[in-house]
Amino acid sequence: MIRVVVVGYGPVAARFVEGMLPALRRGEVSLTVLGAEGEDAYNRVLVAEYAVGRADRSRLDITDTAAAVDAGADVRLGEAVVAIDRQLRTVRTSAGQRIAYDRLVLATGGRANVPTLAGMERARRERTARAQEPSALDRGARPLPTGIHALRDLADADSVLATVRAGGRIVVLGAGVLGLEFALAAREQGAAVVVVHHGDIPMPRNLDLGGGRMLARAAREAGIEIAPHSRAESVLLRTDEGETQQRFDALVCADGKQITGDLLLLSVGVSARTELAAACGLAVAAGILVDGVGRSWNDPAVFAIGDCAQVADAQAHPAGEHVPGAPTGLIGPGWRQADVLADLLSGRPVTATRERPTVVMLKAEGVDLVAGGDVSADPWDEPDHADGCADAPQVTQWADPARGTYVKMVTRAGALTGFVCVGLPRTGAELTLLFERGAELPADRSVLLRLDADDAGAAASGDPFAADATVCWCNGVTAGRIGEAVEEGADSVECVASKTRAGTGCGGCRGRIAELLARTATV
Amino acid sequence: MRLTPQETGAQVAAREFPTNRGGLCKKGWTAAELLARSDRLTAPLRRTGTAFVEIGWDEALDEIADRLRSLRSTHGPDAVGVFGGGGLTNEKAYQLGKFARVALGTSRIDYNGRFCMSSAAAAGNRAFGIDRGLPFPVSDLDEARTILLLGSNVAATMPPFIGHLSRAREHGGLVVVDPRRSETARLTEQGGGIHVQPAPGTDLVFLLGLAHVVIAEGLGDPGYVDRRTEGFDALRVSTNAWWPERVQQVTGVPVPLLRAVARRLAEPGGTYILTGRGVEQHVDGTDTATAAINLALLLGLPGTPGSGYGTLTGQGNGQGGREHGQKCDQLPGYRKITDTAAREHVARVWGVTAESLPGAGVPAVELLGMLGDEVRALLVHGSNVVVSAPDAAAVTRQLARLELLVVCDFFLSETALLADIVLPVTQWAEEEGTMTSLEGRVLRRRPAVPAPPGVRSELWIMRELAHRLDAPGTWSTDAAEVFDELARASEGGIADYSGLSHELLDTGIAAHWPFPRRSDGTPRLFADRFAHADGRARLVVVQPRRDDAAPVEPTELTLITGRLLEHYQSGAQTRRVPELLDARPELTAQLHPATAGRLRIAEGDPIELRNERGTVRARAEVTTGIRHDTVFLPFHYPDDARANLLTQAIIDPVSAMPEFKRTRVSVHAVLDAPAEMTAAAR
Repeated sequence: MIRVVVVGYGPVAARFVEGMLPALRRGEVSLTVLGAEGEDAYNRVLVAEYAVGRADRSRLDITDTAAAVDAGADVRLGEAVVAIDRQLRTVRTSAGQRIAYDRLVLATGGRANVPTLAGMERARRERTARAQEPSALDRGARPLPTGIHALRDLADADSVLATVRAGGRIVVLGAGVLGLEFALAAREQGAAVVVVHHGDIPMPRNLDLGGGRMLARAAREAGIEIAPHSRAESVLLRTDEGETQQRFDALVCADGKQITGDLLLLSVGVSARTELAAACGLAVAAGILVDGVGRSWNDPAVFAIGDCAQVADAQAHPAGEHVPGAPTGLIGPGWRQADVLADLLSGRPVTATRERPTVVMLKAEGVDLVAGGDVSADPWDEPDHADGCADAPQVTQWADPARGTYVKMVTRAGALTGFVCVGLPRTGAELTLLFERGAELPADRSVLLRLDADDAGAAASGDPFAADATVCWCNGVTAGRIGEAVEEGADSVECVASKTRAGTGCGGCRGRIAELLARTATV
Repeated sequence: MRLTPQETGAQVAAREFPTNRGGLCKKGWTAAELLARSDRLTAPLRRTGTAFVEIGWDEALDEIADRLRSLRSTHGPDAVGVFGGGGLTNEKAYQLGKFARVALGTSRIDYNGRFCMSSAAAAGNRAFGIDRGLPFPVSDLDEARTILLLGSNVAATMPPFIGHLSRAREHGGLVVVDPRRSETARLTEQGGGIHVQPAPGTDLVFLLGLAHVVIAEGLGDPGYVDRRTEGFDALRVSTNAWWPERVQQVTGVPVPLLRAVARRLAEPGGTYILTGRGVEQHVDGTDTATAAINLALLLGLPGTPGSGYGTLTGQGNGQGGREHGQKCDQLPGYRKITDTAAREHVARVWGVTAESLPGAGVPAVELLGMLGDEVRALLVHGSNVVVSAPDAAAVTRQLARLELLVVCDFFLSETALLADIVLPVTQWAEEEGTMTSLEGRVLRRRPAVPAPPGVRSELWIMRELAHRLDAPGTWSTDAAEVFDELARASEGGIADYSGLSHELLDTGIAAHWPFPRRSDGTPRLFADRFAHADGRARLVVVQPRRDDAAPVEPTELTLITGRLLEHYQSGAQTRRVPELLDARPELTAQLHPATAGRLRIAEGDPIELRNERGTVRARAEVTTGIRHDTVFLPFHYPDDARANLLTQAIIDPVSAMPEFKRTRVSVHAVLDAPAEMTAAAR
């Protein structure tokens, strides 16, 4: 029996556990799962919706832990792994236990970044510090001041929810997709929101200038204040009467601007939890370095999946050299990695995950935004002949700011390599499909722009009384054939029916036959 | 339909009836032309080399019986296979199942309904404990305010049916889910409703997304779910993983549209969810139909007056044909052949011992895959597998490897052309019998015209062969007697016909099964309970299969197949009606203008569709009514116009339904059109 130990119990670990259940039930493996949080795995994608009160807790449930336990899994919640001994193949837990493994699966996830701001010194966690107890997993040397939160787990969400419910004012630091999503949702639920970011446009990692401007405008129209070009430097804290603890009062920017609020939400990215892996000498860059099936670069008994795992090709990177890239931070790739690894460790045939370019979609009612790939190319860029002319990016662009629509498609050799789509839901959905499949775009790109038009997909026939227009679908009778019947002397719907069978099926076209008769009568 | 005999053939007249309300489509009006055709088979044929010669009935039956007996003694009873059809009357379908198990002793019987209804049937049985296409009279739809129609092109396949959609259309509540802007999808235009165009093969994810929104937005009926279903918690957790944005990434259906559909379904005023082959004919067809049922249950629709879930049957007797023993694992009355009590009961009716009945056989695709190996002889009834089965070229090759192929048909179909012996049989307007319609209503079929001399009923053929094979039991040739036996055999089963007889049906009653003795039948199922022992419906967790991650070549298209207004199934009948053939003389492939432009194909051009299984020749029909990544072929045409040359013989693990609607193909312009193609274009 192969002893499998899983470190972490987030949505990716839960998916892996589900994939292992058949092998577990057959008695081929044993499975021990250690989750630092005291909760069953839940869907972090929807934590922001939960934090604004739009989703209740039951919507975050993502797995049936009881079924895993029934199948024989040993699921230990509220127990963290504090050290890994790769020589002895054991992990040590916060409860002081040692658990032996044959295969170790690290699914430690990521933690929200905490910026270094004056007024909250030492709240930022040392990157290599290892927690000795579950609750300290993400804590810095000092806790965050009251009223300052990162939005990563349910405890954060509960605090934020109280402020949203009270209709308070929330300062969001950072304008990535998560920050914007939260801002839009919180605003919709009645909070006042100001988004502070140091760049020119929101979501600069995903959007080009045009798309970013469209988003900023849409966000402002939704009632959100945006403070661009604002580098946060410090936080001001205050002590309310009758309180002993200091709490957040305002964010101070480099230009001296003070932005007050009831709550500061830090949304400045996520980093992989790699300290356990690094401490036991596993190859680590931004994440734990693994191959296409999730296996560690330097220990074949250790695997990593999800937000802590960085998939890269070991051969392509000489030892000691910096490995660029990072975990995707998205659930879709994480679940695919979990599926593949469960196949591998259950002895099923395995196809290594093809790292697909990721698509970012803003989850917000009223703002349709989806983007993927590299969108930095400009329509008038000179082709770089060194790349080979066929491979030069071609850019198709549509902008109609007054009506809130914007599209940019970047193609290489006909295939979509990057896109931004704002305000055109069907076009955005279609571009997403094309992008994920690496499919070739229609030669006529405007076809994609027309998908959101009212007449999209309608047959081109304009005149419903044109000779070749079908009147009776049940019997395939055209207006022309009915015209002939009229010329042959048919003067009523019944006569037309007996001559042509038009109207003898569902009867739905009888009105139009009568219209046709009336038209010919007046000629 | 009412037929008045003429000097040759008969005259068609419409008849007021709830299903079609006195309307007929082109196929109905012209159906009588099949009765007077000169190419009608009127004598048994035996192959000699490449030609057929007419032989006498005794000679034909003696030869068949001799060869069957010899194969059986050498290779065992399972060396003989039987392939039935969903167009056979209940009596013939029942007798065929009995003939296979009692006279041939073979387990290897299945039928073309496996290509048609098996996924919806499996899903219905799993969720409700019973499979009746519509568990309510079809006319109930007339009062609906919202109808979700998934993967069904009724406007072409069953046009008079669209009358039942009128009220929903008037209220803007017809929601059609189809990758094509089909005739049915066009009914949503001008305020009729919503057309949703997911990428082919993503219906299951679309339905999971609807379930997600229903739960997330509190649109469902928790009281109903609590009272009448099992499995909600697991379903909730499983659909939590399909939030709308994730659904959009897979299906191409924008989030606002997904939400709008979910909200519409939850509006009061009567909502129905109906599925068709478009969502069922997939390797995950059972799970997709299950997802539709889950959605209906979350909304509290099944069994609630004025709402419900149903599936639209495809063939003439698609419902009755799947109830009485043509399926490999089934005995009459929708009983399981593996159920000891069912075997005892049916064996008693048949006058044999339960031990003498074979066990479960194998479903259609697997059966066809055995031809020439484990199965050495095949009897085909009411089916044209050379055109209608997936991977048709392989099926054709395997049929050629048989030691004996016997085909019963009334025309020389493409499958009959390959037979060793062809037996001419009666067709619809020449025979007594019953059919069971999509609403589970048992209908009488009566002869309007006499069969041509030389033609025999399959009931007669089965009796003659049974006697020659020394089979026990009685083999009536009288349809009313066979029905009575069917009724007894079905007694106590799920599809219980025991209270019915031809005599009773002739009184004109609306007889919906289950119709046990001393009952009035069951127009509406599920009012108080579902058919599982505890009376509750099952919410079954389903998830998409993982193989959708396989890479697609950028230039490949997804082939979907379907039907045209003018043709029926393999076209063996409708291609023989001049008016229908003239309207649709040759295979056309629907392509989006952008795709056609990229491939340098213009309207009307001859083209080829290719993949590793075959090449199909068609003419291009360029239309914006199809997704740019999809190509549509009707499957009615023979030879190198067979859409099924391209489809793959992979099956749904639950229902054994083949995948007909998600085939990768490349499409090519044909530069030098061969002469006959040009001629055909006129």
